[in-house]
Amino acid sequence: MTRLPVAIVERLAPLAALPVRRTRSVARRAYAWLDDRSDLRRLLRVGLYEAVPKRGAWAYTLGSATLILIGNQIVTGIFLTMIYVPSTTEGWETLNWIKQHDEFASLVRGLHLWGAYVLLFVIGLHMVRTFFSGSYKRPRELNWLSGVALLLLVLGLAITGAFLPWDQAAYWTAVVTTNIPSYTPVIGEYLRTLWRGGDFVGPITLVRTYGIHIWLLPALLLGVIGLHLYLLRHNAEFGSYVNYRGAYRADGARPEREARRELEPPYPSLPTDDEWAAPLETEDFYPDQTFKDGLVSLAVMTLVFVLAVTVGAPLEERATQNTTTYTPVPEWFYLPLDQLLVLVPQQLISMVLWVPLFGVLLLVLLPFVDRGHERNPFERPAVMLPALIILVFMLVLTAQGASRLFNLGV
Amino acid sequence: MAVPDVLAGGIQLPGASPGFGGFLGYRIAIGSMFELHILLAGIVSGFTQFGPVVEWLGWMRRRPHFDRLAHGMGRFLIFYFAFGAASAILLISSLLVGLWGHLWAIINRVLFWPFYVEAWTFFMMVILTYLWYFSWGLLGGRYKVLHMAMGGTLIIASYLQVAMIDAVASYMLTPTQPGNPIAVFMNPTNFPLQLHRTIANLAYAGYGIAGFAAFRYLRSRDEVQRGFWDWAGSFGVIWGTAMTLTQPAIGFDYAKEIQLHAYGAWYKMMLGNLSPEFLAQIFLLGLMLLLPTWYFLRRLRSSTGRRSRVLLGLLVLLAVTTVFATIPYQFAMTYDQVQAQGMARPLWEGGLIFPFAAMIPYKIAALTAYAVFALAAVFWYLHRLPEVRWGVAGRLEQWLLITSAVLAMGMIVLMGFIRENSRFPDGIAGVVQLHGQQTISQPSIGPSGQSRAQVPFP
Repeated sequence: MTRLPVAIVERLAPLAALPVRRTRSVARRAYAWLDDRSDLRRLLRVGLYEAVPKRGAWAYTLGSATLILIGNQIVTGIFLTMIYVPSTTEGWETLNWIKQHDEFASLVRGLHLWGAYVLLFVIGLHMVRTFFSGSYKRPRELNWLSGVALLLLVLGLAITGAFLPWDQAAYWTAVVTTNIPSYTPVIGEYLRTLWRGGDFVGPITLVRTYGIHIWLLPALLLGVIGLHLYLLRHNAEFGSYVNYRGAYRADGARPEREARRELEPPYPSLPTDDEWAAPLETEDFYPDQTFKDGLVSLAVMTLVFVLAVTVGAPLEERATQNTTTYTPVPEWFYLPLDQLLVLVPQQLISMVLWVPLFGVLLLVLLPFVDRGHERNPFERPAVMLPALIILVFMLVLTAQGASRLFNLGV
Repeated sequence: MAVPDVLAGGIQLPGASPGFGGFLGYRIAIGSMFELHILLAGIVSGFTQFGPVVEWLGWMRRRPHFDRLAHGMGRFLIFYFAFGAASAILLISSLLVGLWGHLWAIINRVLFWPFYVEAWTFFMMVILTYLWYFSWGLLGGRYKVLHMAMGGTLIIASYLQVAMIDAVASYMLTPTQPGNPIAVFMNPTNFPLQLHRTIANLAYAGYGIAGFAAFRYLRSRDEVQRGFWDWAGSFGVIWGTAMTLTQPAIGFDYAKEIQLHAYGAWYKMMLGNLSPEFLAQIFLLGLMLLLPTWYFLRRLRSSTGRRSRVLLGLLVLLAVTTVFATIPYQFAMTYDQVQAQGMARPLWEGGLIFPFAAMIPYKIAALTAYAVFALAAVFWYLHRLPEVRWGVAGRLEQWLLITSAVLAMGMIVLMGFIRENSRFPDGIAGVVQLHGQQTISQPSIGPSGQSRAQVPFP
């Protein structure tokens, strides 16, 4: 009796496998067809097979996580453009309708908002990691500069996106932010009027900001991402000092294990100092590094999803300037600057607004100031200590701002 | 023996606290003891937070002299911990309970949780400090990571302990809802004070190391020892200066919160009878940045034989800024005062208006300049540090380090004096008076002055 079902299964199994085999065959032929016409195989090989530094590989996953988060912003952003109306009268209405009646769209909006917040955090971590590891040094100066451009573009997207709900928070963010360019010497007033579309924040401000948010900045962003990835492959991933012979100079000791295999291009061909030219141990980008990248990206996206579901995207009252009770609260990533503006007297405010520009200038100049061959952060105190002071200062301002808002009860 | 028996025996319980030379005597006794306590406790906190970092740096950089320095800091803690703790016990059990019992009872009732957590974190800190020092040899080699983990825990315990005490100190200046422990802890000046004190303790540790190392350098005859103490002095002063240069911004933020939430105290410090002391503090701050810059200049010269023009320029700029920053406020009268005297003209026209003495915006600009110039000096010295040969420093450099350490101590004493006197005659600003120990009112929150008190005071 028990043999009958087994026999049936044995008979039916090949039949069940038939569609799978057929599908595989179709896929293989489609792939061959594509490869014949586009050289896809070579493209994949170039894209996926490369030796990357092995030690500290988990720390090098932040770039991929950033890319995945940007992908999330693009997908959810496209979805939101199909619902949102960029109008001072209807923008808030559409979002309020979503909030009241459309749970899926609310979730997408939450994913967009929290994706942006997490993206800013992850991109900041990525930059800090790159800075600590000295990855901006020759020949990777352009990698660093394109990374700085990406950071600025993401910050620009975040602040322009904050205008769009046109609730109270968005309105006052627009009032404060569009006023900032007015402190530019000579052309300040012109820039403010250009952005606002007049003397005051209004419908034209919203439409212009919307255009900047969904067209101008994303177009630039995608272009710079392409450049960043090209430079990453061209100059190869540096990793950090722990991967290099130079890391062991302090006591003259050599690592127990030397490179396990011949290093692949482009490492040995780079015109850097020998001890920082090629990692001692490497692994394949695919599947070793991509597995780690995938796990971290999954964790980050899970976090975004959880936040989108549990906290969601808030929507305050409809924007109005006729209020005396509303306390504007800045976006958390502008809290350091906001706190600085609170602290500094009126006469010096224009000076404070130059601080971010000065910060950007420092970031841009960094690879050209710190040109020594040393990559070990513990052997680069001349840049590490001032950078740590600046970093701590920003964190402190953020915490002080949060403490101030707590005591204001907002 | 029960109390009635005592009374029956003719022994009278005292109706009031001991005389101690009257109210002024109380203030002098408690104030001087507090000053001694913060001098000891500040260095203990600084070392317990900085020592493990030095050990970790040495491990990461594979430099044994970092380990030696961290070990020395541990030994210092073992010797001096008890003095700091004993001064605190004397302060609390005898002086505060005995002389200002009413105030102390209120503080304990409102700030029960911070004190409770503080006691346990202090207990942890004591245990971890002794374990950290005495297990140095045992947990070396392959177990070093374990030792450093213990050091990391010590940092956390030490920070929490200081944070709890800061909650008490800040609450006394800007009291909030007494029934809500979170609101009590998060009172408006707590966070700025925590930052200010933590950074100050770390800076104090750096200057302390520099001063001690300079003293040892001057006494050393052995070349290896001189090399070590020379390096330790340089390391300490870099750290102290790097921490101190952030204080103008952090201190300004603290002052701003005091202005918003305890205007009377702020006015007294900035424009009132404590303003000379406050100016002296700004002057000391300038010197604490100026002398290390001078040290950097001299130290590079001792090694390279050349004078760094960049550091010389920064030294001059810091000197000019120090002079600029310490123009007395009295020169910056309000417009109404000047108008009343009919002298609303600039100084150079025979009037009384001298705008450069004003805090806003000129002193703010000077404080910013302090930070920028000192940061540039630290950066430049670190940039040139590979050229420095250890063990060849001159005597002047060492005296500059010792003076910087003494100034740091002076700064801590002065800061304590100003802060504690700013709320005088109150013990808790607006709530309890020191003299006569009278409860004045319920505490309030925010600039509006509206009380949100939920639980009445005793």
